[in-house]
Amino acid sequence: MFTVGDTYQETFITDALTYEGFIDLFKDKNPLHTDAQFARSKSFKDRVMHGNILNGYISYFIGECLPSKDVVIHSQEIKYHAPVYLNDELSLHATVSEIYDSVNAVVFKYRFLDVEKKVIAKGTFQIGLI
Amino acid sequence: MDSTQILEEVDEIFKDELDNDDIVIQRDTTAGDIAEWDSLTHITLVVAIEKHFKVKFTAAEIQGFKNVGEMCDAIHAKVS
Repeated sequence: MFTVGDTYQETFITDALTYEGFIDLFKDKNPLHTDAQFARSKSFKDRVMHGNILNGYISYFIGECLPSKDVVIHSQEIKYHAPVYLNDELSLHATVSEIYDSVNAVVFKYRFLDVEKKVIAKGTFQIGLI
Repeated sequence: MDSTQILEEVDEIFKDELDNDDIVIQRDTTAGDIAEWDSLTHITLVVAIEKHFKVKFTAAEIQGFKNVGEMCDAIHAKVS
């Protein structure tokens, strides 16, 4: 099903529904995320979206955007390179980097890019084919 | 690389992946001997071992190993 080098992508917009839903669910109301004035005082241009929203996008991507629904997440790693703001458009590009047929595991390297192709975050995730 | 050295390196992989320095892996060790060795950590261990030794196993090979020693013998055969 997967071959090393296969690439998949999906676009996301960090809209208010996502942002507010994340706060409602997880209660992280740190002023960096909720107070624009505070965020600007820390050299950000506005409230910064929670980084773990991106992990939610990865969950959706694995569960809904790959060629099989018979998948489970083994692990995710993420490194944040730039802040994400409300209504930013991000594209997730994930490429198969390793395949372990012995245990039906597939490792992807991924990057989130903004509309200017700047790397916002990158990392790896490993899925199992069940 | 002989089987003893392979077993020592496998032991280190188990300690690292299972985050338990008290584990001692021997040739006759099986999943039943190690509490942390469950279905998900099994995958983690196999992936780590394949990466470390730069070998690939088939699903049949993995399912056929009766203990760690048999896996070490298979690694030895692949890297020799």
